[in-house]
Amino acid sequence: MSQDSAASTPGRSGARAGRPVGRKPAGSRWGRFLEGGLLHGGVQGSPVLRLFVRWVRRPLLPVMRLWRRNIQLKVVVTTLLMSLGVVLLLGFVVIGQVRNGLLDAKVKASQSQATGGFSVAKQKADEASSGTGDDGGAVDGRPAQNVIEWMSNLVESLSSGGQGAFDVVTLPAGDDSGGGRGPRASGYVDPSASVPEDLRERVDSSTAAAQSYTRIVYSSGKDSQPALVIGKQVNDPNGDPYQLYYLFPLTQEEKSLSLVKGTLATAGLFVVVLLGAIAWLVVRQVVTPVRMAASIAERLSAGRLQERMKVTGEDDIARLGEAFNKMAQNLQLKINQLEDLSRMQRRFVSDVSHELRTPLTTVRMAADVIHEAREDFDPVTARSAELLADQLDRFESLLADLLEISRFDAGAAALEAEPIDLREVVRRVVSGAEPLAERKGTRIRVLGDQQPVVAEADARRVERVLRNLVVNAVEHGEGKDVVVRLAAAGGAVAVAVRDYGVGLKPGEATRVFSRFWRADPARARTTGGTGLGLSIALEDARLHGGWLQAWGEPGGGSQFRLTLPRTADEPLRGSPIPLEPTDSRRGRGLDEDGSPGDGSRTATVPAQQTAGQAPAIPARDPIAARSAAVPTADPTALPGNGARVVPRPASGTRRQDGSPASGAAGRPEAGPEDAKTQGEATRGR
Amino acid sequence: MVADRAGGRRPRPAHAVAYAACGVVLLAGCASMPDSGDLRGVESTPRQDTQVRVFAMPPREDAQPPEIVQGFLEALTSDDPHYETARKYLTAEAARNWRPEASTTVLANGPGTEVAHAPNRENADDYSLALTGTEVATVDAQQSYAPADGQYSETVHLTRNAKTGQWRIDLLPQGVVMGQSDFQRNYMPVNKYYFASQAEAGGTSQPAAVADPVYVRRRVDLMTQVVRSLINGPTSLLEPVVRSSFPTGTALEKGVDSLTPDDRNKLTVPLNDKAARVGTDKCDEMAAQLLFTLENLTPAVDEVELQAGGAQLCSLAEDRAQAVAARGSAQHPDYLYFIDAKNRLVRLPAGGNGTQPEPVPGALGEGDQALRSVAVSRDERTAAGVGLDGRALYVASLASGGSLGDPVLVSQGKTEQDRLTPPSWDERGDLWVADRDPDDPRLLLLQQGKGEPVEVGTPGLEGRVQAVRVAADGVRVALVVEQDGERSLLIGRIERRTKTDGKPEVTVAELRSAAPELEEVTAMSWAGDSRLVVVGREQGGVQQIRYVQVDGSTPEAPAPAALTGVEEIAASEDDRMPLVAYSEDGIVRLPSGAQWQKVTAGTAPVYPG
Repeated sequence: MSQDSAASTPGRSGARAGRPVGRKPAGSRWGRFLEGGLLHGGVQGSPVLRLFVRWVRRPLLPVMRLWRRNIQLKVVVTTLLMSLGVVLLLGFVVIGQVRNGLLDAKVKASQSQATGGFSVAKQKADEASSGTGDDGGAVDGRPAQNVIEWMSNLVESLSSGGQGAFDVVTLPAGDDSGGGRGPRASGYVDPSASVPEDLRERVDSSTAAAQSYTRIVYSSGKDSQPALVIGKQVNDPNGDPYQLYYLFPLTQEEKSLSLVKGTLATAGLFVVVLLGAIAWLVVRQVVTPVRMAASIAERLSAGRLQERMKVTGEDDIARLGEAFNKMAQNLQLKINQLEDLSRMQRRFVSDVSHELRTPLTTVRMAADVIHEAREDFDPVTARSAELLADQLDRFESLLADLLEISRFDAGAAALEAEPIDLREVVRRVVSGAEPLAERKGTRIRVLGDQQPVVAEADARRVERVLRNLVVNAVEHGEGKDVVVRLAAAGGAVAVAVRDYGVGLKPGEATRVFSRFWRADPARARTTGGTGLGLSIALEDARLHGGWLQAWGEPGGGSQFRLTLPRTADEPLRGSPIPLEPTDSRRGRGLDEDGSPGDGSRTATVPAQQTAGQAPAIPARDPIAARSAAVPTADPTALPGNGARVVPRPASGTRRQDGSPASGAAGRPEAGPEDAKTQGEATRGR
Repeated sequence: MVADRAGGRRPRPAHAVAYAACGVVLLAGCASMPDSGDLRGVESTPRQDTQVRVFAMPPREDAQPPEIVQGFLEALTSDDPHYETARKYLTAEAARNWRPEASTTVLANGPGTEVAHAPNRENADDYSLALTGTEVATVDAQQSYAPADGQYSETVHLTRNAKTGQWRIDLLPQGVVMGQSDFQRNYMPVNKYYFASQAEAGGTSQPAAVADPVYVRRRVDLMTQVVRSLINGPTSLLEPVVRSSFPTGTALEKGVDSLTPDDRNKLTVPLNDKAARVGTDKCDEMAAQLLFTLENLTPAVDEVELQAGGAQLCSLAEDRAQAVAARGSAQHPDYLYFIDAKNRLVRLPAGGNGTQPEPVPGALGEGDQALRSVAVSRDERTAAGVGLDGRALYVASLASGGSLGDPVLVSQGKTEQDRLTPPSWDERGDLWVADRDPDDPRLLLLQQGKGEPVEVGTPGLEGRVQAVRVAADGVRVALVVEQDGERSLLIGRIERRTKTDGKPEVTVAELRSAAPELEEVTAMSWAGDSRLVVVGREQGGVQQIRYVQVDGSTPEAPAPAALTGVEEIAASEDDRMPLVAYSEDGIVRLPSGAQWQKVTAGTAPVYPG
């Protein structure tokens, strides 16, 4: 990534690392998952999967947005979920207890019933065996004769005791199926399917009664139903064992339980709905004023300072509203006061400038007369006359600049844009600066003027800007070459002015555009301009919808770049010329000692901060990155409000006086242009 | 603003309180058990069937012969439709030849087994067992029940299969055998209905429906079984005197396995091509037969649709069936008749609970002739009375005016007990009476209650007829016959023929005991299409009132409440009419679901017939 864009290069490590984290809303893990995986399509996989994810994501997105933005929804949903959980838990506990209670009662009643039945069966067998024993106990086969009928009669008499309350089943003991002990069942019960196998084994193995739960299967097509089955091994009149089972259908219990279930479900539903509604109402009462406050605050921040909250009642919400309104009122008052004050001050400056011009003209005429006649004066007086004329010149230009600035501040500056060839402007500016350059021993080179560089611009203002830049470069260039570079691409034209002077200290790249700012406050005012030149230049660039940016490194010189849109209304997306020149020290490699490298990095930090407001995804191609970056950046610069001019600019460079810089300054000239061409990155301003 | 709101809402709390009060009242209504509400019909829930079912089990591996026989006998009591499991106890050949439907033998206590021949050295694969028991009844291949007595003894022979080494039955009697309670569990009586073949001669346009009781297996697709049995024709006992509307050869269409009424209680019966060309009247009769037959079965059938060859023949609903054929149980007598203390014929509205009798209009109600017993014709226009001494039989109209006239019959018996029995009218208006003269015991028939008495032939009857009652269908007659000091109840069928000289010849054929266990039958009366109520005494028992079926079986309906000293009893074929008896307390009656009630003084209560 750091190879791709110039923007990333300064952020060698730490500076960049903080950004993505800070920018991201610290969402929940779920949200991060959605954003990282689902919502941003980060799924690495087959296209089908990606399609599916997109298909799933689409309807989810509004919901997610609503979830993130709507506290009422959050509270209501949370309340619903929690109350649902509580109701479910309660339901399980209650149903379990009811079930156990019902079963306990049923089991006790059934056990006594079955025990009675078993003893009746035993008694009948005893009676029958004693009866037949009298008849012919001697004959072996004789007693066996009636078991078939006896068994059927037994089942019938036992089952007739409880119509519908229970059914009776007999099964042969073990696997023995002969001897008249085939299964018998009352009430259409399917005996083999209804009596569980393990109960049969248990009854087989012991003489005690055993019970189990089962599901009665009916052969008559009736629905099967749960039942309690109690079984015991009993002897028939022949003394052969068979299994007697009592099956108690749990129909009533199930009905009771389903009644309880239904009641609980209904009650639970009502409770959940009720809680949800309560939560909704309560949250609504709180959230509505908060929302109102939020919207009012938004409107306030948009400048509509007269907006107020509606306050009803005397509760906490009403106090909040009153406090809010009071705050808004005070704010409005203060802002109005400040605006008045600022307007007054601007007016005052403007008025003062105007008022000064009239006496200045008189003074000027008088001074001209004196100046004309200086040869007649004595040397001291002649020198004074010259001084007077010089300072009057400065005074006049200062006054003009002040007027210009105040015009910008008042928003009175008008753009007279027409298609111009920037090469001509540059040529004019260079030829105008030629005398100064000669004096300084500086050569001004113009690059990129093979092609016409046409843009819709106000020629006078562009010329003013460029003159300012070139003169500055020559003045601070310490006699080294000044390179003026022209380029046009992608709807933008740019002129960059590069010098190899002292460069800029860290942080100065933004400050160079401040009014009356000087790299060295101690420096005499005699040499420099008014201190308003770059401010005016910046305002001019902004008037065009363009950028004026500065870059510099201590000892490595600086570069100022003017970027203008090719047509007047078009927003800028990027610049054809990278802000940091390719022959910067960092661009040439890391062959330097620590201090200059450190300086070079920090020099661009301000630019990085401003760039941070733009979406931070380092794009692969610079144009795309610019497109994302710029449009938001520029309009704030355009209004030309004096108060806002200050924070705007990017890294600019003024010469730095520091000796290490001058030592290093020699290098850029000798330094070969590095093959590595870095595109301009997102540092839009 | 706050003040505004409060001011605006001042009347609201009153409303809210009112609404809340209404809600509370409504909820309170829900929270207590209702003590009033709308009317709603109650659907009858079918009675839970606690019938015991026996599940047949196939023979165990290496089972011993006694076990095989026991398993086989047990399988016979199961609900297996075609005795598939029972057949597994037989050898392949025996299974092929064994016809379980040939007969059902009912033994008092179920079959006992005795080893008749155990395997010995020479013949180790040979075993036979004797099945013994006391016979109670048999059901023949036509499913007709007949009481039986005597010892049952049949031999079952087992052989060991040479290959598998398993014992199997290879010789056994045809049919099935089971104990009495198993029989009652597994079989149920059903009345098949046919039409009396001679009924048209009586002048009524409607044929009389005759009940033909059969026993069918209760849980083996009852409805289809019954329909098949009905179509197959009447039992041999009734065959000469009834006809079926189903053409000969009619059967259920092939491939029809099961008949079930649809959800509107309509039963569709597909017949084969033989029935395709019957007329509408005939078809209605067929449907009426089906409806009458299926009347008391579950699920209920309200309508029958007949199809033949895929086309609909006719459809008959229950209410129309009564117009197609007459049934004794569907005719409601208007009055109950008896003889009051003044020996005259009086009557009470039948079915009511009045106790003030009125004399009948006409001669018999005037008391000129003291009466001992009476009979009123089924149309309740004519009555016949036997004089107090039993000597003479008078017939008189029940219209007012008119004189008694001469007796139509005079007995020559020496004592009261040797003279005329109470008379009985049949459905054609003929009068039956028996002369108990020991010298010349006769069963007599007076056509239309007048003219020369015709002596009814009673082939095979020994003993004196002590009472005669003709069934409403005119096909059966119940006789109480005294022989050797025992008075038993016999049921016979009436066959009428016209002799060559134009005189009618009437015989009572196939007299069979309907209550073999009763040895002293005091009184009896028809109490349904195939049912009688009998007062009698078992051997060594006391007098009791019970119902008997004409085939000699005991019906499922419980016996009426006990009553002592019953001399005479009267019942109507319509079972909604109360049972009326003459006992020590005079005339008493038994409304359904109540106890015996005293009505008034009097003797010889009769319903028409």
